[in-house]
Amino acid sequence: MRTITNFLTEAGEMSLFGLNAMKDAFRPPFEWQYFLRQLVEIGWRSLPLIVAAGLALGVVTTLHTRSTLVDFGAEAMIPSLQSMAFFNELGPLVTGLLMAGRVGAGIGAELANMRATEQIDAIESLSIDSFKFLVVTRIVACILALPMLTVFMDCAGVLGGFFSEHAVSKISWALYVNRAVNGMAFANFIPPTLKTSVFGFIIGTVSCFFGYTINEGSDGVRRASTNSVVLSSLLIILADVILVKAIFFIFPEQAI
Amino acid sequence: MNEEAVVEFRNVTKAFGERKVLDDVSFKVRAGEALCVLGRSGTGKSTTLKLLIGLLKPDKGQILIENEDIAPFEEEDLSRVRRKIGFMFQSAALFDSFSLGDNLALPMQRLNKCKSIDEIDRAVDEALQQVGLGTDRAKMPSELSGGMRKRAGLARALVLKPRLLLIDEPSSGLDRITASEIDDLLLKVKKESQTTMIIVTHDVHGARRVGDQMAVLDRGRLVGFGTADELQGSDNEVVRNLVSES
Repeated sequence: MRTITNFLTEAGEMSLFGLNAMKDAFRPPFEWQYFLRQLVEIGWRSLPLIVAAGLALGVVTTLHTRSTLVDFGAEAMIPSLQSMAFFNELGPLVTGLLMAGRVGAGIGAELANMRATEQIDAIESLSIDSFKFLVVTRIVACILALPMLTVFMDCAGVLGGFFSEHAVSKISWALYVNRAVNGMAFANFIPPTLKTSVFGFIIGTVSCFFGYTINEGSDGVRRASTNSVVLSSLLIILADVILVKAIFFIFPEQAI
Repeated sequence: MNEEAVVEFRNVTKAFGERKVLDDVSFKVRAGEALCVLGRSGTGKSTTLKLLIGLLKPDKGQILIENEDIAPFEEEDLSRVRRKIGFMFQSAALFDSFSLGDNLALPMQRLNKCKSIDEIDRAVDEALQQVGLGTDRAKMPSELSGGMRKRAGLARALVLKPRLLLIDEPSSGLDRITASEIDDLLLKVKKESQTTMIIVTHDVHGARRVGDQMAVLDRGRLVGFGTADELQGSDNEVVRNLVSES
């Protein structure tokens, strides 16, 4: 019973933490300089990982689907299948999970370390709102960086698929792209890409919550980073189920 | 020395949950004076400093800084008071993701908003030179040794040319020679700018060198206040043990 109560209390606190961050995001003064620093750290510095993962995943998924589609004489469907898979689901979900690992752990550990080494006290002693300075900037940076990174992941996945397919069938780039985008609609690209903003909100809120509120020295740093990755990954997967259902509801043509 | 009290604790009580960390503590620090606060671990020394800069609020009592009671102050008024105060944290608390120069520029940008970029640059260079880190402006905190970090923390506390300097454990984790260098720096600041200081320390040797007065806390209560010589003859055994150099 006590475990359930603790869980519900923490879930409530975390929700309020995220809501307060969203409220503060629209309240001046805005921490533009520090926000841009976070956007570079979270977005730009994650780009090599996202592109590399997208390329590798693109190659692997094409290798797997080719062997099956060849049996049905449907290898011409590979580019279309590849782009559908990446733009609809693989790109957003894998980007979310990779970022939960890279950024979630980083934010959790960094903030917990700042708490343990009195850096947060030092910020407040300068009359800086540490919540706005450290938390809001990171959550907003996550919300904006995730969709951008997803576009890179999607494109890298399609490119990886092309490399793999070109090596086997010598298909041209123009034909591959033509087949890949043929049949793609607004609903296949914009809603799944924008849903990663929710993933960004989850990663930012969960990792900032654990990092900012834990105050237990080096053990706290370890717990903050582990909890951030585990819980944000789990919540991303759960949120994905709900968001996919919501996208199908709003854009019924996508469900067909 | 100016007789006017710059800092005054009036019957201050602070508890964390059931645990009373400060219990009805009162003392005064005059302008230009250095007060060293001594006591065993967990007796409320660092809490005293955090109350003085408004990071914590007292449960009871008044905290006067230049005759203003800061206890009921909201953030806006605290911000005005903090412009007069420099705080050197025990771990230096340098921002890991900022260079040393940026660490020092931040207080200038936030608490001294009218300064231009050139003025901020000059003030940062001046503060770094004052603590002997003039050539290390571009370094990141992770590139600094323990002693350098302490000096950098002191430079950040000094960059706004505060009238009151709060220092938490300046010599903790340092060897005797480096600790003595930090004490020399504090003496230099005290002499050159007549800054009022409150120093929390375990180092009696340093406290005797830098401090004009000493306050001894034990289990949240102020059990001794006076010069080192006065406290040496105290009736309280804890006070005698803490102030004794041997």
